[in-house]
Amino acid sequence: MSGIDTPAPHYDPYDYRHHDNPYPDYKRLRDQAPVFHNSKFDFYALSRYEDCFRAVRDFRTFSSAQGSNLENINIEVATILDSDPPVHTRLRHIIVDLFTPDSVASLEESVRDMAIDLLRPHASTGSIDVITDFAARLPMSIICRLLGFPRDDEDMLRGWTDAAVHRNEGEFGVPAEGHAAMGKLIEYFERDIARRATLPPRHDVIARLLSAEGEGRLSHGELMGFMLILSVAGNETTTKLLGNMMFQLHRHPDQRAVLLAEPSLLPSAVEETMRFDGPTQMMARTVTRDVELHGTTIPEGKKVALIFTSANRDERKYVDAESYDIRRNPRDHLGFGGGLHSCVGAALARLEARVAMQEMLALMPDFVVDETRLDRMHSPNVRGFTTVPVSFTPNPGYRA
Amino acid sequence: MKVIFVQPDGSEQIVEAEPGSSVMEAAVFEMIDGIIGMCGGICSCATCHCFVEEPWRALLPPPGPGETEMMNALDDVGPGSRLGCQIILTEHLDGIRLKVPKEQL
Repeated sequence: MSGIDTPAPHYDPYDYRHHDNPYPDYKRLRDQAPVFHNSKFDFYALSRYEDCFRAVRDFRTFSSAQGSNLENINIEVATILDSDPPVHTRLRHIIVDLFTPDSVASLEESVRDMAIDLLRPHASTGSIDVITDFAARLPMSIICRLLGFPRDDEDMLRGWTDAAVHRNEGEFGVPAEGHAAMGKLIEYFERDIARRATLPPRHDVIARLLSAEGEGRLSHGELMGFMLILSVAGNETTTKLLGNMMFQLHRHPDQRAVLLAEPSLLPSAVEETMRFDGPTQMMARTVTRDVELHGTTIPEGKKVALIFTSANRDERKYVDAESYDIRRNPRDHLGFGGGLHSCVGAALARLEARVAMQEMLALMPDFVVDETRLDRMHSPNVRGFTTVPVSFTPNPGYRA
Repeated sequence: MKVIFVQPDGSEQIVEAEPGSSVMEAAVFEMIDGIIGMCGGICSCATCHCFVEEPWRALLPPPGPGETEMMNALDDVGPGSRLGCQIILTEHLDGIRLKVPKEQL
């Protein structure tokens, strides 16, 4: 093979050029550099399924205690993402039962009502921005409901959570705006808790966390960490999942036709989108000892990027891994991570995605994405669109 | 407290577990073969399926609807089938024995 046309394997998630289509980069990593060392920022990257799966399982070797970002986030608030057992177990047990499929099922009607409210004003116009008009709003509305925040605060909160995950081009670290946004969020949470003390008790996630704090099972810093992660993680990723799914159905008309003909495939289609083009590209760990893998030694203390969306397209794991097949129904993809740190909100995300897609497809089965006006966010961890303008045949009868 | 995992070949692994943790966590903390816990314990993947041996079955609260629904999708359910993430270990389960299925996925 000539090296002229094929770039050397490289992985720089701070390079904006990587964000448009990272998948060819990932394939080169899997094939030629399964343990890649980024010398500029001095971290390693694993890109094969087997290696990422082993890493999420072996939490003693691949620790989360130094954070789940490649950068050491310099903020006083540690979240559950930045912990190992037994701390992680203590934190997760406080809320985990609130996030099972049984527990979130009661939200379905509210999710559908919110989705319809957001979509209906566009039904007669024949155009909508899937992100700014819909997918950016729906998850934040649900999170505000779950956390008991006033709906009037949604836009402000979303602005701060968006800023918290943004990274500037080529810059290894959280920009000043990101730190400021996280500070604003923490101030907001403190005010919310102070306000609660003057109001009748509520029965939401925060009430659960506050009672754990009262019983000494949660420190105040951990409470803030929970509120931060529930706000940020519940917002950003579900928005991007919906945008990515609409984009993939646009790019794969055969798959859209299958889904429209067989709506019962929707849960499988959501899983396949999480595998094929899930929003969470990568989470980091820190190795607690020297790790030998594929002839390379990752020295103790180094950060390691686990590229989940590369693992999900590993042809060593999945047949025809680089094709989008909504019948595949993969149960073992790493789109929500895997193991103890697997996304606690996954059942809620699945519910939101299913209902949101049902409503979007009911409104506009023939939608067409205007690819010339697509734009995307920039983060080493999360990938997805900030705008997905679509047009469709006006449908004034939608949920009229 | 002790939790005993029995592999399909009959070999046993005894792990120490903290009361309050789940069977899935007890297994995953010690990287017991055959218990995966892909979803981290939100009853959403059924990769911590195991068979509870007697006499412990009757000591467990019955499975909820979500656990039952997840298990209905499995090919190899049988007597004592449960999802490990939904079994919270309490002192009276000290010594509980669970068979690990041949395959989770």
